[in-house]
Amino acid sequence: MTTPMLDITKDVCPMTFVKVKMGLQKVAPSGKLNVRLKEEALKNVISSLKGEGHRVTNVSREDAVYILEVERGGS
Amino acid sequence: MKEADYKELKKGGMMRQAEAGLFSVRLHVVGGRLGTRQLEAIREAADRFGRGEVHLTSRQGVEIPNVPQGSLAELKEFLAPSGVGVGVCGPTVRTVTACQGCRVCPSGAIDSPALAAAVDREFYGKPVPHKFKVGISGCVNNCIKAEENDAGIKGWIEPRWSGEDCTECGICEAVCPTKAISRPGKGMQPVIDRELCIGCGDCIVACPAGTLREEVRGFRLFAGGKFGRVPFLGKRILGVLKTEAETVAAVAAVLEFFRLHGKPRERFGDTLKRTGFEALEAHVLGKEARP
Ligand code: SF4
Ligand code: SF4
Ligand code: SF4
Repeated sequence: MTTPMLDITKDVCPMTFVKVKMGLQKVAPSGKLNVRLKEEALKNVISSLKGEGHRVTNVSREDAVYILEVERGGS
Repeated sequence: MKEADYKELKKGGMMRQAEAGLFSVRLHVVGGRLGTRQLEAIREAADRFGRGEVHLTSRQGVEIPNVPQGSLAELKEFLAPSGVGVGVCGPTVRTVTACQGCRVCPSGAIDSPALAAAVDREFYGKPVPHKFKVGISGCVNNCIKAEENDAGIKGWIEPRWSGEDCTECGICEAVCPTKAISRPGKGMQPVIDRELCIGCGDCIVACPAGTLREEVRGFRLFAGGKFGRVPFLGKRILGVLKTEAETVAAVAAVLEFFRLHGKPRERFGDTLKRTGFEALEAHVLGKEARP
């Protein structure tokens, strides 16, 4: 199964994190979600993810857009 | 009344008003914090001795305006039992301002009200060549505008690259607001330019791998700032100070330097323009090094 992709490049804080949170709810524990986001959103999204026990397992970049591979933590 | 007597009153926080015979009484407030009991006493004092109003000053102070000269002593006595002291003016260490700090504000790196209380306890009202203001911001968001003060302090987070698990993702470099982080090349550790770093800690928060850690969470001192007619922003001196005690000691050394080198009616920033900031740093470091 391919990892689902969530695009939040058009969102601003706090919608960015709300969408990531909702996206992760659809993923099974230890499952993965790819998130496309802009540089401005990096700090807040990553710090919230870390705070909620998820992990960023890979980071890639397409010009100004970052793609985070997020592994859902917890149960 | 003689001019000399007015001067004495002013030093004690009684400010002569435009209208003859009336005074605006400056109260002693530390870091903008007052208890409800104190507020009650201030309210009652303003009703009894003034015209039922107070003025909130630009530096978190409270003044009771429109107090007749004959009531000044009585007003002071009235406020004393509730722990409200009368303020200061003239060539002294003035009101210490502070934000709510880490106990209240989620962004806070230091307990600014606690440091304000310590600085106030040690130095408030002490004589110096010219007025001397201290302001404390709990973090680099700088709500208190540290650089506008003769001695400004900011909560500061200094990052360190631990090397562990770094994936070279480049996020630290991307989030740094001052471009203080650069990565020289593949497999090489990111370099943090300490001159450019503003101590925000964003890189630590954003690093997905937890590679960037807090080296120090402490206090950063800025010297020589002022506003008024000719504004001047204070400059950062020394490294990151680790404890409240170390910071109070540094402020003591700064004040001592001002007393040694400042001329009467010369603001600290102007003194530093003459002596150079390096001389101040050398003086403060000399104090620290002493056993
Ligand atoms: S300076 Fe920082 S800690 Fe203080 S109130 Fe502003 S954001 Fe909060
Ligand atoms: S954000 Fe962290 S993992 Fe990524 S390059 Fe910087 S130190 Fe390495
Ligand atoms: S603490 Fe802030 S200014 Fe300093 S390197 Fe990290 S992100 Fe840049």
